[in-house]
Amino acid sequence: MTITRSLSAGLLLAASVTAISAIAFAAEPIKIGVPVGLSGANSVVAPSVVQSAQLAIEEINAKGGVLGRPLALEVADDASGAAGAQKAFDSLISQKKVDVLISMETSAARNAALPIVARGKTPYIYTSFYEGKSCSPFMYVNAWVPEQQVPPIVDYFAKDKAAKKYFLIGSDYAFGRGMLAFTKAYVEKTGGKVVGEEYLPMDGSDWTPIISKLKSAAPDALITSTAGGAPNVTLTKQLRAAGVKLPYGNLAVDEGTAKSMGTDAEGIYLSASYVTGIDTPANKTFLAAMAKKFGAELKTPNDLSVPEYEAVYAYKAAVEKAGSTESAAVLKALGDVSVPGPRGAIVMSKQHHAPLSMYLGQVQGDGSVKVIQSFPSVDPGEQCPNLKS
Amino acid sequence: MMMIILDITTTAAILFIVASGLLIVFGVMKIVNFAHGAFMTVGAYAALITSYLALPAIAAPFVAFAVGGLLGAAAELLIVRRLYNRPLDAILATWGLGIVIGQVLTLMFGREVQFVPAPVTGTLAFLGNDYSGYRLLLLPAAVVIGALFTALLTGTRLGLATRAVIMNETLAQGLGIDSTRVRLLTFGIGSGLAAVAGAAVTPLASVDPNMGLPWLIGAFMLVMVSGGSLPTLALSCFVLGGLQVLVSTFVSPILGGLTIAVLAAVALRLRPEGFARV
Repeated sequence: MTITRSLSAGLLLAASVTAISAIAFAAEPIKIGVPVGLSGANSVVAPSVVQSAQLAIEEINAKGGVLGRPLALEVADDASGAAGAQKAFDSLISQKKVDVLISMETSAARNAALPIVARGKTPYIYTSFYEGKSCSPFMYVNAWVPEQQVPPIVDYFAKDKAAKKYFLIGSDYAFGRGMLAFTKAYVEKTGGKVVGEEYLPMDGSDWTPIISKLKSAAPDALITSTAGGAPNVTLTKQLRAAGVKLPYGNLAVDEGTAKSMGTDAEGIYLSASYVTGIDTPANKTFLAAMAKKFGAELKTPNDLSVPEYEAVYAYKAAVEKAGSTESAAVLKALGDVSVPGPRGAIVMSKQHHAPLSMYLGQVQGDGSVKVIQSFPSVDPGEQCPNLKS
Repeated sequence: MMMIILDITTTAAILFIVASGLLIVFGVMKIVNFAHGAFMTVGAYAALITSYLALPAIAAPFVAFAVGGLLGAAAELLIVRRLYNRPLDAILATWGLGIVIGQVLTLMFGREVQFVPAPVTGTLAFLGNDYSGYRLLLLPAAVVIGALFTALLTGTRLGLATRAVIMNETLAQGLGIDSTRVRLLTFGIGSGLAAVAGAAVTPLASVDPNMGLPWLIGAFMLVMVSGGSLPTLALSCFVLGGLQVLVSTFVSPILGGLTIAVLAAVALRLRPEGFARV
């Protein structure tokens, strides 16, 4: 009698444990790690990036998640720099054990993080525009590179503003130097001349000597490439305070930062793969959903935050195509999946980078961007010829 | 040419405004207030609040002085006073205070970078050049601050007591001067001045919980080189600030950032007690 009782009790216990763990296992969330610059230079833009991720995850979970599992968001602060990125990536990969990393970061942070990503063998979708030619079998990029962004601005200045002499200003790190190196080469290739090229450290905020040099070089146009966020604002403020009214092409400003600059931003030319004015049903649905979810707290969706939204959907598509979250399978699928989004249908098929539609725009007095020209499906060029894509 | 001269004088003015608070505390109390950067940040956030409340921009330095001064006086009463006989520990305590202030600001305002609009926008035609109006405004501001403090030190009883304490504290106490009160007022005024400096530099750049730290390093170097004297501080700001601008303009801004630190190290090697009594 006792043996049967304990046997049945034991069977019941075993059955319930299996059932509970089966339920728990089926609902185990897929963790998306978002290391982003909550402090430091990128802190002006980071909130919009987090909002994009939050909306994408909420929408996907409402429709049943990915392969029956919900998505969970893990945000970490990379302090917009290399040291912070190492800490953030380490904690996300080793402690939180995220399944994928999707974020925008400064090039300094990205370069410091890539070895950690390779060690952890975690897929990484980099959603920030950058200076190009950063290659890793674990990283895919769904934002623009100089080959897509710089020619529209330089061509416009050369044709419409008759600009021959250019002055270049940047932040002293991979992005600033890389973008301006490409710009200088392109300017010289198209018959222009670079009369000055100056850099300030990424966290520097005193542009006075550079502005003095700009004034004495007397160029026809100014092109800048600072870190996204704070350096853009301080440079533009000080340029306007010094009375600089040249045609001003900013390679690193997004609509959100332009809005926070107020009237100082008026007249700046930018070249982007996303502006809120894109007139497609997908973009309008996206903007309405963002406004509904965040209301008064909404940070303007911009060229640094919208790729984040699309990247979460790209990951979902890749996992569904691969049938699992296993790293190698997902990485293979990421190069093939095409996801419709606010910027159109994007596929990261060219050496882990993506052909994108680009828009040349000018910032208006109220902070919005007026599109002057648009260029469909611009090729990113040869970014990573050694990667089999 | 005029452009560079204007750059040099406005940079010197900014450095003077930032370093004067630190110098006053150092001169009287013989300790370096390592919370100076944090008090600057407090002043910058006071300016941010002033702009949120839509008060006129001219109110910002006064609000900053009040907030910084009260906070400094409280810090002196609660922390620094207990460490009179242990100047090295007092320095460490002010460093800790700086960290605490920075974190409290992060909790109150968030850690992102924010911006304060400049009270004066655009350029002023000055001596044949169009120069940033706000930077030019800081020149008379620095002169006023220097003049006010010289007047305070030479023309008031508090100033007389302070100079006595600077010269020889034990002797001053023996003569019946309440050196504790002098120290309290000095720390309060020095912190208030740091806050004013923070409010002054913010419209040129941005506000975030750690903005004061780079200024602290530069101010510390300038104060060490100047010994305890305000006129010498003005001179050092001019010389070192001027050299920083020259290096930034003719070599590179990245090396320019190193100039003050390197030159101060050289100067102190040559004359460790500073240049106050040359």
